[in-house]
Amino acid sequence: MIPHSKHNRPIQIEFVALLAAFALFLSTVEYLIPKPLPFMRIGLANLPLIIGLGLLNDREYLLLAFLKVLGQGLVTGSLFSYIILFSFGGTVSSAFIMYVLYKYGRTWISLIGVSVAGAMASNITQLQLSRLILFGDAARLIAPPFLVVGLITSIILGIFAEQFVSRSTWYQSQLEGNT
Amino acid sequence: MKRNRLGDSAIIIVAVVIIALSLGTYANFSGEPQVHVRTDNGEFIYDLSVDTFATFAGPVGDTTIEIHEGKVHVHDSDCRNKVCISAGWVSRPGDWIICLPNNVFVLIEGSIQNNEGGVDDTAF
Repeated sequence: MIPHSKHNRPIQIEFVALLAAFALFLSTVEYLIPKPLPFMRIGLANLPLIIGLGLLNDREYLLLAFLKVLGQGLVTGSLFSYIILFSFGGTVSSAFIMYVLYKYGRTWISLIGVSVAGAMASNITQLQLSRLILFGDAARLIAPPFLVVGLITSIILGIFAEQFVSRSTWYQSQLEGNT
Repeated sequence: MKRNRLGDSAIIIVAVVIIALSLGTYANFSGEPQVHVRTDNGEFIYDLSVDTFATFAGPVGDTTIEIHEGKVHVHDSDCRNKVCISAGWVSRPGDWIICLPNNVFVLIEGSIQNNEGGVDDTAF
């Protein structure tokens, strides 16, 4: 069922580029939305990562994750500050968790579960990083609201991704073109 | 599209449990403002609601702080410029008074519920 193919590499790279551009755009949209706390994010830019799960192989997926960090850094202007560490840590851990869950658990986990697990991995990694780098032990005080927001937005994103994957003719055609 | 939500529910339950555990960290956080005093001889903690005097020895002499009606100030200090004394009374969490010559650092820590400060510039 996982439609990875080794035959048409150029097309796969185009997927990565397309999804990375999508992530860049969604980072911009997310940056526009006011937030009560700087670390509370909706995680819109994770959408391409969730959608890309079914289309990309592991190396392409890793590349997409790096491009997402890069795009986010460019948009928020944090590319050359230590903030990028948070973005990087969160994205890499969530990408790893989501990829593993999707690959080995897709018979019993839908994209909603994948999205929630990815958001949790990302949030916990960022909290640990903020404990080490920024706030020390006080980081645990921002943990509950941070995690609750992550849970809610990731469920919504997961539902959206699930709907998108099952209804999008573009996605279906890419799947078929791939196999 | 086959959808089996068993794994989803499991993951969401795990997430909720993690959140509940993280909420537990609020339990030992009283929110009562405390006065932390860092000196050469270590750190001392006082309750902001208990009126008291306290004297700390430093490199140039003694520094005395007074806590009165939920506010704290430096009552007397042996330093040269007396900047710490002119700093006056402070009462809100996050406020501080420093006596640099005598190496005494007075900081109020605690909940910021009563703080009327708003969102700062970078936290938009």
